[in-house]
Amino acid sequence: MDRRHFIGQSAAAVGLLAGLSSHTKAANLQKAEILVIGGGYGGATAAKYLRLLSNNTARVTLIEPNTSFVSCPMSNLVIGGSRTIAEITSPYDTLSKRHGIKIIQDSVSSIDPDKKTVILSSGKTLRYDKAIMSPGVSMNFKSVEGLAQANKDGVTLQAWKAGPETVALHKQLAAMREGGTFAISIPEAPYRCPPGPYERACQVANYLQQHNPKGKVLVLDANQDVVSKGALFKKVWAEQYAGMIEYRPKSNVIGVDAKTKTLKLEVEDDVKADVLNILPQMAAGEIAIKTGLANSNGRWANVNFLNFESTARKDIHVLGDAIQIAPLMPKSGHMANQHAKVAAAAIVAELNGWEINPAPVLTNTCYSFVNNREVVHVASVHQYNAAEKTFKTVPGSGGLSPAPSILEGIYAWGWAHNIWADSLG
Amino acid sequence: MQMKYLKPILVTSALISLNQWSGLSFAQTADQLYKRGLAATCANCHGTDGKGVVDGGMPLINNLTSAQMLEKLKAYKSGALEGTIMPQLAKGYSDEQLTTIANQLGKKQ
Repeated sequence: MDRRHFIGQSAAAVGLLAGLSSHTKAANLQKAEILVIGGGYGGATAAKYLRLLSNNTARVTLIEPNTSFVSCPMSNLVIGGSRTIAEITSPYDTLSKRHGIKIIQDSVSSIDPDKKTVILSSGKTLRYDKAIMSPGVSMNFKSVEGLAQANKDGVTLQAWKAGPETVALHKQLAAMREGGTFAISIPEAPYRCPPGPYERACQVANYLQQHNPKGKVLVLDANQDVVSKGALFKKVWAEQYAGMIEYRPKSNVIGVDAKTKTLKLEVEDDVKADVLNILPQMAAGEIAIKTGLANSNGRWANVNFLNFESTARKDIHVLGDAIQIAPLMPKSGHMANQHAKVAAAAIVAELNGWEINPAPVLTNTCYSFVNNREVVHVASVHQYNAAEKTFKTVPGSGGLSPAPSILEGIYAWGWAHNIWADSLG
Repeated sequence: MQMKYLKPILVTSALISLNQWSGLSFAQTADQLYKRGLAATCANCHGTDGKGVVDGGMPLINNLTSAQMLEKLKAYKSGALEGTIMPQLAKGYSDEQLTTIANQLGKKQ
């Protein structure tokens, strides 16, 4: 055998070995049972992108109790009456029909991270190799005395998880007596959707201007100041809703009397209102807490930001509002969608035996409607910082709208239609 | 070219092809996965793989060639091109990342 021939054969052998090795790892990708728990912006996107980024070879099951997806972004417009719940609802079945994702309509009652099993509410047990949990937030009704019962009875509503309460809150607004007061209380940050309560105040006021012009909106904020888009919202309140929206910072609601519709505040005097939209403190979705993943103050789940794997439990990845955020990372649907793509790509890489991307990028875009046409945005770009093992916003990037505009109102709907298609279509 | 030089290359590439065909039905490399993941950061607003919802309200980007897209992204980044969100987002990406995104999402010409 001459030397050249030997080298050729060796190269072929190396190629074959590399091929076998790759074959085994690829088989891991094809054989792995991947369960996605929760079909919100994070979970639905993760399920879809696991299929897309694996060229449809990953086996993906989505567990979601609802038959359709109702978007939290845009739901304030339903409360304000300019849009219907149908306009912000998307079906789940495209994920199965177009992308081959198995959908189980159920919820998860418990997870055994040692045995790597999930028990569904129906009693069925599923095994997983990788679990992706995108459980959203849980509402800590106990943080406000009397709120759990008041909300159960429908006297107060949160309508922070879009759905039946969104429609019910609009009905309460529409039925409010002439000149009545609609009170919104905001918990201390972090909570889901930082600008959401302030957008809601605008939408309620926009409705009142048309249907109940002597009505008032009272915003009771536990925070020191408006948490997001503060200058923009305050300008709109002064210019478009003067005398209608009253904003009180440092006003922490600690109790509610459902009979008299009275709110107890930590420091100030009690407040009476006609419609009570009380947002309690929030934490990671219950299943994340129950599984022992909420290892940041018992509220949020710490994750490895390269693949969104829980730091408490191996092979469970947590996305979206449930995680302990990186600096300046909002709890938003857009951000959950971005988390999902990083996690999906990392899981596909890992199961292929490849190095996971050491420099992932996230963006956030959040539009708020200040009336039924004009919008303001906040945007940011978050690059992974290897030295600090977290995401950091890029200096000089991101920012706010200079002022509300109709053009951004059009873009906001463009954003909604595209993110719904990107996550569910 | 002498055949004996070519032979090992052919054998190796045949094995690689075989591997891609049998092992994976997964004609993708780690590098391609990285590029697809990066481009997916745009999909929330501009559609999965850059295919935006037609008449959805957001400007479509899949009518641009990769070269046109990169030129536009760089103009947003430098401030030469005004906009609402894009000037703010483009400043968050490196030139290399913008090039990758334009190559992924732009029409190939």
